[in-house]
Formats: sequence, C-alpha cells, structure tokens
Amino acid sequence: MKGILILAGITLWVWFFPFPALSEDEYEFDLSEIENEIEKKPYNLGGFFELKPVLFALDRDSAFYKIKFYDKDEGSTLEQYNSGLRLEGSYHKGIAGLFFRTDSRLWYGYEGWDGDTTLLEGYLALKPDPGFALEAGKKVLLWGKGYAFNTVNFVSRHKDPDDPTEPIEGYYLAAADWIKSFGGPLQTVAFTPVILPVTKSINDPFGEPDHINFATKIYGLLWDTDIDLLFFTGKSRTTRYGLDFARNITSNFAVHGEFAWLPGFDKKSIDSQGNLYTEKSDILKYLFGIRYLTTNDITFIVEYYHNGAGLDQNDANNFYRAVDRAYDTYLATGNSSELNRAAQVSHGSLGTFKPMRDYLYFRAGWNEPFDILYFTPAVFSIINLNDQSLSITPELLYNPITNLQLRLRGAFLIGGNDSEYGEKQNDYKVELRVRYYFD
Amino acid sequence: MAMMFAAPVYAIDGDQLLRKVDRNLNPETYESYRKLINEEPDGRKREFILFTVKKGNDRVTSLFLSPASEKGRSTLRLGENMWLYIPNVGKPIRITSIQSVVGGVFNNSDILRLDYTSEYKVSKVDKSGDQYLLHLKAKTKAIAYDKLKMWVDKSASLPTKVECLTEADMLIKTLYFKKVKNFGEGLVRPSVIETDSPLYKGYRSIMIFAKIKARDLPDEAFTLNFLPRVKSLR
Repeated sequence: MKGILILAGITLWVWFFPFPALSEDEYEFDLSEIENEIEKKPYNLGGFFELKPVLFALDRDSAFYKIKFYDKDEGSTLEQYNSGLRLEGSYHKGIAGLFFRTDSRLWYGYEGWDGDTTLLEGYLALKPDPGFALEAGKKVLLWGKGYAFNTVNFVSRHKDPDDPTEPIEGYYLAAADWIKSFGGPLQTVAFTPVILPVTKSINDPFGEPDHINFATKIYGLLWDTDIDLLFFTGKSRTTRYGLDFARNITSNFAVHGEFAWLPGFDKKSIDSQGNLYTEKSDILKYLFGIRYLTTNDITFIVEYYHNGAGLDQNDANNFYRAVDRAYDTYLATGNSSELNRAAQVSHGSLGTFKPMRDYLYFRAGWNEPFDILYFTPAVFSIINLNDQSLSITPELLYNPITNLQLRLRGAFLIGGNDSEYGEKQNDYKVELRVRYYFD
Repeated sequence: MAMMFAAPVYAIDGDQLLRKVDRNLNPETYESYRKLINEEPDGRKREFILFTVKKGNDRVTSLFLSPASEKGRSTLRLGENMWLYIPNVGKPIRITSIQSVVGGVFNNSDILRLDYTSEYKVSKVDKSGDQYLLHLKAKTKAIAYDKLKMWVDKSASLPTKVECLTEADMLIKTLYFKKVKNFGEGLVRPSVIETDSPLYKGYRSIMIFAKIKARDLPDEAFTLNFLPRVKSLR
C-alpha cells in the first residue's frame, strides 16, 4: 500500500507541477540536426519500461474468490507490483526485414515474486514490391473492425476489451499480401491468404494439433467503405465465414460492423452438475459500433456485441451453483477437488474474456480538455446485457513530457449474485501505469 | 485594415492562381520530411518528425519517425477518409480530419494536407498591396474548414498567411508561411508554417520542412494494407 501511495504521489506531483518550462519567445532550428534525425538506419531497437502497482478490493462472497482463495485469507485487499519491459526491434536489408516484439514482466503479489517473458511477434518479411509482401513467423493478424470486440478474428487471439489497444501474442503462420489500387468507386483491393499450422508444440492453444489450416481475407475500399470478406477452414477449428465493414458517415461520425458465421461449431454449455460439455451448433456472431467526435473533442465509442457461442444465464447459474456446492463441501470436509474442477471448467468458460451472449461497450474520451495538451480523461463501461451486470472504468491519461506516459485507472464491478461482474474476484481495482518509451 | 482597402481583382483567374500556389508549394507527387513542434504557453515544447508521401489530388500517407512513443505510427488519407495505424493495436482505425494525431493546434487535415485546389474553389480575389487575397470556399461539407482566406505574395505566387474559418466566419486558426527556402529541383517555398488559434490561446504549433522532392510512387503505397509497411518507402 505504501508503494502505491508513493507512486500515486509522484504522479500527482508531475500532474500538477509539471517539468520546468523552457521559455522562449522565438523558436530556433537547425536543418542539419533534423537531417541527422531522419537518417535511415537498417536496424531499430526501442520499447518502454513500465511500472504498474495495482490495488485489488476483493469480493469475498463471489464465486471466483471462492475458487481462488478458498484456503487463504489475504484480507479484503490485495496489492500487486508489476514492472515490465517491452522490446521491439527490426533489421532491414534489401527487400528483407526481420522484426520482433517481446514482453518481459516481473511482479510481486500475495504469492511472492514471479515473472515471465513472451515473444509476442517475431517474423521475417519479404517486400519485393509495394503491392506484394510475404511474412512468415510469429505474427498477429488482427482481422475485424471492432474496437473492443471482434467476431472475425479467425487467426488471432482475443484482445482484452478492458485494454483493447494493448498488443496480443501472435501465432506462427505464413501470410502473403497482394494489393491493387484502381480509379473509380473501387479504390483498393487486397488479398491476404494465410497458412497456420498447429502441432503439439506450435500454436497448440489455437486448436486441434497436427493440422494445417488456411484462412483468407479479401479487402476492398468501395464507395469510401472498408469491406472485408473473411474465411477460415482447417481441422484445428471449424470452418467459419466473415464479413466486416467500416465507413465515415460524416467527418466526425463513423460506423462499423462485423458478422461471423460458424456452422457446426462446438458450442460449450454447463450442465446442472457444473460439467462443461459441447454440442454441435450453427453459430452467428456479430457486432455494430459507432464512433462520434463532438465539436469539443470528446470521442464516443459505442459497440454492441452478440456472441452466439457464448454461455447463457442457465449455464452461468449452473456454474455458480456448482461453485457454491463445492465450497460448502470444502468447508464441511476439507476436500477441494470439486473447487479445483470448477476452476478447470472456468478456464474454458466463465473465466475467459466476455464469455456470455450480449455485451454493450461504451467509451467517452475527452481529448485535451481545458487546453491541457496530451491529457485525455476517459470513462468506459462494459455491460453484460444478459444479467445487467457491468464494469465502469474511469481513467486519466497524461504525457507530461516526451516519451513519458502516466495512466491512472479504477475499475468498478457492479452486479448482483449469479451475475458475471457480481461473481468476479474483485469489487474494484485501482492501478497506476507509468511508461517510459526509449529508442 | 488591409481588408478595408482590398479591391476586387477581375483580371485574375482565382482558381488558376490557386493551382499555381499548389504547384509552388509542392510537386503533385512527392516525399517530404517534417518536424512538428507544439509549444505551450509556459514554453514547454513537444517535437515530432514525420516522413510523408503524397500522390495526385487526394492521397497522402505519413509515418512518425520520432519521438519513441509515437515511432512507427502511420496515417493514411484518401480524399476525406483518414486512418491511423498504431503498431501495438495492429490494425488501422478510422480517424477524422478535425482530430489531431499530434495534439496541439495542427489537426489531421493540416498534417495530411491535400492540394488546396482539390478541396476549395476560389470565390473571390482581392488585391491587397503586394499580395492577393483569395477567398476560398470548401467544395464539400466534409472539408475541415468551410472557408479560407489566403494571402498570396504576388511576385512569388506563394501564400504568406491563411485564415481558416467556419461557415459562420468564425476564425479557427491562422497559418503563417515563413522562411522561404530553396529545396532544389526548382522548388522554392516557405520552409516553416506556424499556426495559432483563438481556440488555443497562448499555444503555437510549427511545421518545419527539412526536405521535399518529387518522387514517383505506386498507387498501392496509399492503401490500408500498406500502412504497416510505409517505412519501406524510405
């Protein structure tokens, strides 16, 4: 708690007593200095250091608290101190380029010190022509137009709707990209075929191993509208078809949407005994969204997401009842096997990102209010429309000096018993994120 | 005051003069390197360096070279459509002309500027001393500024000042064109554009051109799929 208070104090100091001004009436510049800065180098290395203390307020009656802390008493709050290093590098020679992005994290929490390093991306790219590129290695191919959610991300992991602009880990794949431009209403066409192998050691979280999967995306800019047609087939996952679009209606108002059709999908459900089971089902997923900018520079983003493969309220109720029974058994007998089984079930269901059917995302961000440059206060909310539970997250983002970014954020979870946010482990959390970028 | 004594000039073809201004400012298809500086009332500064390529009437793409926190971001403009690509996010998102990817007084339409003739028609030309005063009207409602007043040096056919106005004649910002420099290949133009705004009192943004040169570019360089690869054009 003391560490969090010290960091919060430093942040507030920087916020209200910024760095000394370099007052001058007339600017000066040296063109040769700029020319040195724009000199192209074959290699590049950069990234950021991060410090992120987080305070969690626990909901000791919730299902996920029982699953995780049934045999511990950590009090009503938990602290976690996170540090991180993001490294990004590239090397180019001729038409070839190598690129990597890694995340290294070290944290101290109630279980002590821990850490990990993840290769988010690492691939070789060949660009013989502006209209053609070939890439092979570990790469993120983010398909879809959604801001917080995606339904057509056929060859990537799910992004975190609570932090959708953070990079995710890629899959090992090979992709080509052909682009052709035209005059007239169809301005651009692009074709992106993808090969994604899955073995027991490569891409194993993607799906069934020992298969090679294929996906394609055909993009067109038609009548000022971005349109993608998407397709995936292979034996690691079921075949799926997708379509997305985005368009500016006016200069300050844009709309977007995604549709995905997944015939014969292995849809997950939870029975009254708390067991996870699957059954074949034809699934439709879709989302619609808008982005609106007001004259005083407030950006509103609203997105409705329907996940036809999501759990329904019966599934959720079955899971929460099973956790209650398992916890009662543990209290009565000391046997935690049912709680451990519930934890396993949650990993493929209610413990994942936005596991249920219908969600509404809302975000309002005010860019540089009151003439404070590089400052963006925002608030966003994710509402589970099936059980009316929600999260509300206000945040303050500020870049007080070049390459230093501060973000203060609180996430408050609101919901009754048997609701998604009501049964989460925390009632709320507060975090401060300090990032310093370098190159 | 000069406005009060400005006299209409009937012998000048305003649109032709505007075309000449456009060509004097930059080749129709070119690459450039610029530094953008945002200054705050207390003197604090923030600097950005951009590599930019433009082709024809309606296509511009830019890549941030610095600072480190922005490096690798790229923007694309096709007519009034604009996108921002952030490497971390991994896919382009639509942005609007009145937002600003760098903060400060310059907005996206200033940073990804097209030729004036592609967005504006000259509604009137006044003579104002050794300058012409061009009154420009946006061709569509989608343009960031509905009206411009452009002061053009008669002998050089280069702008010296541009006022950006709303439909109701409210001043949004003023651009000052300064420090004429020879960029080679016959291009002699202001190397500095300053801007201030009554909406951002005490703030100032400055654009310094380090290099501009004509360059033939493929159409495919101005597409969404190419945005992550803009740096390969350098």
